[in-house]
Amino acid sequence: MVNVVNFEEEFKERDASLPRETEIIIENLSVNFPDKDGGEPIVALSNVNLEIKQGEFISLLGPSGCGKTTLLRTIADLQEKSSGTISVRGLSPREIRLQKKYGIVFQSPVLYEWRSVRRNVCMPMELLGMPKKDRTKRVTKMLELVGLMEFGEKYPHELSGGMQQRVNIARALAIRPEILLMDEPFSALDEFTKEKLHEDLLRIWQRTNKTILFVTHNIQEAVFLSDRVVVLSPHPGRVSAIVDIDLPRPRPIQMKETQEFNALVSKVRNSFEGV
Amino acid sequence: MIQIKKILSSKYMVTLVWVLGLILIWELGATVIEGTKRSPENVLPHLHQILASVFTTNKVNGTQTAFQIVLSNGGITLLRAGIGFVIGAGLGFLLALIMNLFLPIEKILFPYLMMIQMIPILGMAPIVLAITKDINKSRIIIAAILTFYPVATNTLAGFKSVEKEKHELMYSLAASKFEIYRKLLIPSSLPYFFTGLKISAPMAITAAILVDTLQGGAGLGTVLSQSLKHATTIYIFWQIVFLSAIIGILSFYLMVLLEQAISPYKRKKKK
Repeated sequence: MVNVVNFEEEFKERDASLPRETEIIIENLSVNFPDKDGGEPIVALSNVNLEIKQGEFISLLGPSGCGKTTLLRTIADLQEKSSGTISVRGLSPREIRLQKKYGIVFQSPVLYEWRSVRRNVCMPMELLGMPKKDRTKRVTKMLELVGLMEFGEKYPHELSGGMQQRVNIARALAIRPEILLMDEPFSALDEFTKEKLHEDLLRIWQRTNKTILFVTHNIQEAVFLSDRVVVLSPHPGRVSAIVDIDLPRPRPIQMKETQEFNALVSKVRNSFEGV
Repeated sequence: MIQIKKILSSKYMVTLVWVLGLILIWELGATVIEGTKRSPENVLPHLHQILASVFTTNKVNGTQTAFQIVLSNGGITLLRAGIGFVIGAGLGFLLALIMNLFLPIEKILFPYLMMIQMIPILGMAPIVLAITKDINKSRIIIAAILTFYPVATNTLAGFKSVEKEKHELMYSLAASKFEIYRKLLIPSSLPYFFTGLKISAPMAITAAILVDTLQGGAGLGTVLSQSLKHATTIYIFWQIVFLSAIIGILSFYLMVLLEQAISPYKRKKKK
């Protein structure tokens, strides 16, 4: 069970030439919510098909009610599916969850206010049963990764919203998850903090080679960050398009002003249905 | 000017004004009563008279001064209240835990808990005494019963107030039930637990004094009723009034200190 901490291996630079294996396969997935008054169930997701490769940065983009969060939660085993299949590395979402292979970042930082920053990042590793010495080392590494080295002994309420979200990300990465699931992690932050975190997230992703599923309702954000943008439309929630984002990496913030970028934003915007 | 404004708006200033105001009203009352009643010390003596009775070396019962009697009995009462408080707090926490673990138990037990809470202490005390047949045990048990309810209900509220996302985080990390309690529910319910303690600490002391009055033996309440029946000097009564008020307030602040010692983030939050 205990993960061997090997930073060199984990933080090797992404090698784009390596073939990527398919990691998540979603076939004919539907999720219904039972109606409270006993009427027809509400269709949150209808017939979703999606394949995600290892190390890909995928955005699930759409307006509220399109089922993007439901899709993420179903993959995370936080939501029961109604029909169809989800296979993650050949296993079910539940098996992956029980193996503690998911790192989850919610919209609110969900930090434990009675724990210092260091001990918040440490918490998942305690659940993993990692030895104390390894935990301490790894916490330091994680704080370095998100740029919070000097804030380890602070408590969550002493940090800004952006810093809290960094702690949240560090905590999610602490147990070396295979897949990082992020549910609108930056939507409560101001524009400047958000841009900084975008750059940081891309850098972290580049260094750790994780598969990232990123839920957002911000088209620019999705285009800037992702390899592919999965466009979801509501009533019923469904995938209406998958747009490849073939912008070169690394992506500096100035890329948002280029024509290629704006063309992709328009393309994504035009692929919504029934909004 | 700014300096003076700062001093005036500080919270110590508020306390000072309160205390001075109370002293003023008390002394006004005492002066009026001095002129109208035959034995004013029975109704409202001057504060300096009470203070003098604390420091006097006159023996009241041959061996002890009034203040020595109050202090020694106060110690006994405080000990009983303390034992009852610790037992009550422990049981309250445990029951909150059990109620949170098993919903049917909560549904069955909660109404009874509320009923116990509604019986007046002075009505409950003879029943407890009849069951235990020992006044000292009864005093402890009553203090425990009074402590128990605020601690149990507040702690239970603490368990239930944990946000859904925090539960989901633990779920996504495949945490066991034990881990969820140890790492999430118990630490996050601590502020609620301490709210319960802050409510019940002064109550336990009040209850212990009240139950003392029921029967003889030692204890603040016992000497208090003796004093009121003029078996000893009336100033014992006045000393007890002040001492129990001070102990009650101190017991509250003791809980505040204890909480800050256990939860360091609370200490930092204050600043």
